[in-house]
Amino acid sequence: MVTSASAVAVAAAEQTGRRRRPRRSAATRRDWLVGYTMVAPQVLGALAFVVAPLVAVFWYSLHEWNVLANTFTFAGADNYERMLADPGLRDSLVASLWFSVGLVALNISLALVLAVLLNQKLPGTTTFRTFFFSPVVVSLVAWTIVWSFLLQADGGINGFLATVGIDGPNWLRGEATAMLSVIVVQVFKNVGLNMILFLAALQAVPVEIQEAARIDGASAWRRFRSMTLPLISPTILLVSILTIVGSLEVFAQIAVLTGGGPGNSTTVLVYYLYQQAFRFNDFGYASSISVLLFVIVLVLTLVQWQTRKRWVFHEV
Amino acid sequence: MSLHTPRRSPVLVTGAAAVLSLSLAACGTGSDTPAGEPETPDDPVELRMTVWTADETQLAQFQEIADAYVEANPELVSGVTFETVPFEDYTTSLTTQLAGGNAPDLGWILESYAPEFVSSGALVDLAPTLQATEEYAYDDLLDSSLALWGEDDALFAYPFSNSPFAVFVNTDQVAAAGAADPAELVASGEWTYDEARDVATAAAAESGGQGLVVRDFEYQVWENLSTVWEGWGAAPWSEDGTQCTFTDPEMVEALTWIHDATFVDGAMPGPGTTADFFAGDAAMTITQISRASSLDGSFAWDVVPLPAGPAGQQNVIGQAGIGVFANADTPQIAADFLAWFTNPENAETLAAYFPPPRESLLTSATLAAANPLLSEEQLQAVVVEGVQGAVTKPAHQNFARLQDTVRAELDALWTADADVEAVLGDVCGAIDPLLAD
Amino acid sequence: MKSDVMSAPTPAPRQDGVRAGAAGGRRPDRQVDARARADSSARLRRRWGRAGLVALLVVLSIPFVFPTWWMVTSSLKPMSEILRSVPTLWPQDPSFAAYGEVFDLQPFAQQYWNSLYVAVLVTAGTILVSALAGYAFARIRFPGANALFVLVLVGLLVPSEVTIVPLFRMVNSLGLIDTHWPLVVIPIFGAPSVLATFIMRQFFLGLPGELEEAGRMDGLGRWGIFWRIAFPLARPAIAAVAIFTFLKSWNLYLEPIVYLSSRENFTLPQALTQYVDAYGGPMWNVQLAATTLTVLPVLAVFLVAQRQFVQGLAHSGLKG
Repeated sequence: MVTSASAVAVAAAEQTGRRRRPRRSAATRRDWLVGYTMVAPQVLGALAFVVAPLVAVFWYSLHEWNVLANTFTFAGADNYERMLADPGLRDSLVASLWFSVGLVALNISLALVLAVLLNQKLPGTTTFRTFFFSPVVVSLVAWTIVWSFLLQADGGINGFLATVGIDGPNWLRGEATAMLSVIVVQVFKNVGLNMILFLAALQAVPVEIQEAARIDGASAWRRFRSMTLPLISPTILLVSILTIVGSLEVFAQIAVLTGGGPGNSTTVLVYYLYQQAFRFNDFGYASSISVLLFVIVLVLTLVQWQTRKRWVFHEV
Repeated sequence: MSLHTPRRSPVLVTGAAAVLSLSLAACGTGSDTPAGEPETPDDPVELRMTVWTADETQLAQFQEIADAYVEANPELVSGVTFETVPFEDYTTSLTTQLAGGNAPDLGWILESYAPEFVSSGALVDLAPTLQATEEYAYDDLLDSSLALWGEDDALFAYPFSNSPFAVFVNTDQVAAAGAADPAELVASGEWTYDEARDVATAAAAESGGQGLVVRDFEYQVWENLSTVWEGWGAAPWSEDGTQCTFTDPEMVEALTWIHDATFVDGAMPGPGTTADFFAGDAAMTITQISRASSLDGSFAWDVVPLPAGPAGQQNVIGQAGIGVFANADTPQIAADFLAWFTNPENAETLAAYFPPPRESLLTSATLAAANPLLSEEQLQAVVVEGVQGAVTKPAHQNFARLQDTVRAELDALWTADADVEAVLGDVCGAIDPLLAD
Repeated sequence: MKSDVMSAPTPAPRQDGVRAGAAGGRRPDRQVDARARADSSARLRRRWGRAGLVALLVVLSIPFVFPTWWMVTSSLKPMSEILRSVPTLWPQDPSFAAYGEVFDLQPFAQQYWNSLYVAVLVTAGTILVSALAGYAFARIRFPGANALFVLVLVGLLVPSEVTIVPLFRMVNSLGLIDTHWPLVVIPIFGAPSVLATFIMRQFFLGLPGELEEAGRMDGLGRWGIFWRIAFPLARPAIAAVAIFTFLKSWNLYLEPIVYLSSRENFTLPQALTQYVDAYGGPMWNVQLAATTLTVLPVLAVFLVAQRQFVQGLAHSGLKG
């Protein structure tokens, strides 16, 4: 996810920046004014497009609101009570959990494998790196459409499976395979990003350490497990958490591939939210789901900050 | 380079404070009821009608009728555009436009959503305008056709299309398989769903394609299966929309039949299989008569009425209404245009694809003139008789939610070893709370 | 340390695969003979191992490369061949007919243009807003700076889905539904640009104070220092922000389907999903032709500039 990559950039840049504070400049009133002017577009923008809508979401979530019928009545905690009893919401939380867990596990392990392979100084490494990274720049919807075409019951993948005598499943219609398909499509789309980040981390591992271990006769796997892995584990942790947060925002993939089905098995939280708001015109209930989503992201982010503090401490 | 500026004048509200106090007044429901001749606006207005057809012949026909109106009323209207919104997201897009204050002047409305639109207050009552229009012959409109679209004496949308569902047959494929000719089965009174299934199975086995396709069902739009289950006398919910009837014996039997035809006999395509009858992929398809426009003559075809089920033969029509939105700029002019668009003369032109709700026009002779593709006998059997005593597809005031919930529950049915009764029990369990609302 | 961030696109001391490929495991001459012999058999084994690894890479490449191949070739197939039970890797009778239909069915060129100009405006606007704010937060001490910065940071915690409903209402009450304004203005000033501001601030924090001092000696004011010195120096950060912002805008899906309703206003991701027949049936070859037209240009730009792309990303990502 582009978001997660930039967040990694942020995280790293932040550490770098933290090392040194700028020299105190003379705080003249004129300088203050320049400062206020410079931050004004961003601050006012954040107020108008982030903070105010957040407050509005809380407000809406306390109302019963049907757009088509044009009714807006105060309902207190009704929407929140409804959330507790809503099996659809429960299903979507479960779907989100599966999606996030599956995505993170597959994405991280594949990214790591690819990065390690690319770090072997094999012939053609640059070409392979380009291959693995290229889906990152392909439009998400385009990528998903192509895969949905490949995954049709009578689509390309089953066609090729049939030529070797395998009767392929109906990928997007089976409960287990639908979720798997969505995850895999998403992994191939973005694993290149994490791969690059891991690759950079691997290349930052001092060569001397590797050489020394090799001369000591440590096997490749041992060297990797007991030396490289710990050294890049901070990156793995960070990338994992960011991938989880990013995975909560999956929408286009679901809309294009499965439409939330079969059953509700791929109706993740964000998709459920969209349905409530724009398909069922139930903006009040949708707002209470938005609040839930916000709280989940908030908690995950706090966890991330806590964890990062800890490993920075370790590193020093 | 330009950012498109909106047609309507914006309510200028700026700043964060305004966001907090988002005024709901901005989207208040207009309650002005147009009647008789509309007032002449300062400048002629541009009307917009959302439709879901992308068929160029049909769109050209609409445009022709609209252009004649513009010519006759240059002081009222400068032009009419027909905006195609893809069928799949039609209602969502339409409601989003409405919620966004970007209401079209007129729009097609699917029958399933009719109760929701009629009761929401989003539509203008058309009866006064239509009744006041000269030579409109309001009394010619069939009461049974209007039932879904009105309340008391009010009419909130005009059901311009009353298209019977029928079975299109690729007679080349049926003949190649040596199966019984559906037309002969109809003639001998043996045209039943079981017979249709056998024909489909044989034809599919011979052609390597598909047998009988319930068009647009695609394992998502389950309400299209009503064409089949009506033969069993089944219905998804009670007439008043408060009781789930998926577990009634008729429905269980009907869906068992569909399930077995698909997974046992291979008479119907399974989930995820793409089969377009009009491209020659299938031997038969159940669809609306208006689809005849998709036939390109690449194979020999016939059209026959829906087969009979255990409960006898039941005609089903798909209705579509045209409504005028209360939130549009000039509902009066839009209603006046609608009166023109659907007057007897234009209704006759449109009858080529959209059988009108007019008693006087529902004759095979009239329809034949507009439908060169279909013979008078076919029209008599399928359309004229099809509209009479026909039922519509399921509709409900809470349809969007019901559609999605039932779709999700029915997914469990579409596997070879599904337990039909158990699945339908789950369907009722899931929609009971929605029906009780 | 700070120099790492600044020198993002430097290609210098990286151990790049291709260059180092031939040099696998070479060691100084002063190894004893026996050791060298044992080494050579080990090297042989390693060579086979390496061939295996390359084969593994080839296999792993399939799911990354094949979809693009399949997309392009399928767009050249007629509908009758496209879902053939025995798939064909190359169309039997390639035809560009579907490409014509792409433009017949929708105002595709217009939609292409919409996506492009929205993404360019958003990118340019975001760079400007985030560079200004990032600079001020990093280099100017003014009362309340920290509080304002924390306020802005809230934007990092809010997925766009959370605020879509109120934003939709706001856009609606301003009468801007079905225009491109919300797709341009909200990302530039709202949550998406917060990320950019963050990156910019971190970059400017690492800028040596001496450079500003020199500018001040030359008689430059705050604005002069920003425009003449800081902004030009921020190129690596700007590049990273530009890439992320452009791709994010180019990929935007939820927002367009919420804000836009008429075809001539659609952006590409939204338009791509609309290649269905009048009643919702898929038109695969046309859809894939449109998809190809969407994907190939961006892919081409990436292939040309991929070195800068990947390295910039890797550097801004993990050093420090």
